[in-house]
Amino acid sequence: TPVSPQAFPLPSLPRKQPTVLVVCGPAQNGAIGLVCARHLRSFDYEPTIFYPKRSPDPLYRDFTTQCEKMDIPFLSYLPTEVQLINDAYNAVVDAVLGAEAEVTEGTEPCEAILATLKHIRIPIVSLDVPSGWSSESGAAGGISPAVLVSLAAPKECARRFLGRQHFVAGRFLPYDVQRKFELNPPEYPGTECVVAL
Amino acid sequence: PGWAWPGFGVPRGVISHTRQEEAQAIDQELFTEYQFSVDQLMELAGLSCATAIAKAYPPSSFTTSQPAVLVVCGPGNNGGDGLVCARHLKMFGYQPTVYYPKRPSKPLFEGLTTQCKKMDIPFLPEFPAEATFIDELYGLVVDAIFGFSFKGAVREPFGSILSTLERITVPIASIDIPSGWDVEKGKADGLQPDMLISLTAPKKAAMHFTGRYHFLGGRFVPPALQEKYALNLPAYPSTDCVLQLT
Repeated sequence: TPVSPQAFPLPSLPRKQPTVLVVCGPAQNGAIGLVCARHLRSFDYEPTIFYPKRSPDPLYRDFTTQCEKMDIPFLSYLPTEVQLINDAYNAVVDAVLGAEAEVTEGTEPCEAILATLKHIRIPIVSLDVPSGWSSESGAAGGISPAVLVSLAAPKECARRFLGRQHFVAGRFLPYDVQRKFELNPPEYPGTECVVAL
Repeated sequence: PGWAWPGFGVPRGVISHTRQEEAQAIDQELFTEYQFSVDQLMELAGLSCATAIAKAYPPSSFTTSQPAVLVVCGPGNNGGDGLVCARHLKMFGYQPTVYYPKRPSKPLFEGLTTQCKKMDIPFLPEFPAEATFIDELYGLVVDAIFGFSFKGAVREPFGSILSTLERITVPIASIDIPSGWDVEKGKADGLQPDMLISLTAPKKAAMHFTGRYHFLGGRFVPPALQEKYALNLPAYPSTDCVLQLT
């Protein structure tokens, strides 16, 4: 999803290099992060991926190969010293957990990742839901993203999002699906696949 | 023609026009080395086509009462690109209609067809008999019949279809190669599209293109592959998935 460039256009980035850390969880949300990283690379950003628990799904493994072949580095560990992350990157893409994740799972390494992300100072862009937020109830001591990209349509917990920019992305919902689920999505401008709410 | 340099970088040289073999080699490498799936690249290609069309022929520019578009899909991947394009045109507010006479019985194409049908995109049971019928009903025709793998003689029903398309007056937007053209040499007495959307990189045939709009689409070629084949692609503007060349 080409959201990061809208929220953080290349010329506006504070660091000299347009570095972005993309943190990918073990399931679908993480896979979306991999695709996002690849497109960021083609938009001339310098993404780095942290993907500690790799899915065995063949499609997601292919996404990993595509990133590797595009020379996107994969970190072997996430520094717990948050200043290192603040210094090295302009923003973090949170692709750890999606709307389907159970809050009670509490499995590593997601818990440790989220504990670190809670303390970083650089902006977080969360894909679909802020990771660790319950789909129904929201924040309660979790991460505070600056930007939320709701995929297809906003989820329940998006009501509690307090960050500065909320986008909807994923312009593929057929009209009858939109009507059936009473989604009332915003109008996408022109041929854009992202719209700011 | 002047290239539309967006000023992002110093152009390294004239944009490469690839030969048929090179285009096939690049494709192969994307699938085998990079492990892209056909689905992924076809989706990005079809989206580029719809986006380019929307830029050159916005819905407000149509003289027909609705922005009606006829998408003619061939028997292979170019046809698949057309199906994806039709679906995105629908999302962009056009009224596409598809003609798809020869459908491969593969899940990819069956899926794309279902997606179009479920979005209420009609599939014509037969091709309009006269060029004038097409001119009356549609403001634009998308030629998604043959692509860069095309070789040899044109088999029916596509010979008759191309004959009819050669006589229409509404503009034609060809995906990757004007159908019926030799992929390298073109075809002087063949289809004369108003728009060409070159996917990945222009093919040699594009040098014979004389229509108004030439776009580049398929923004998925990794930098290393561009280097390897010396494609000299100009920079796409910002996050756009298409680049207007003329």
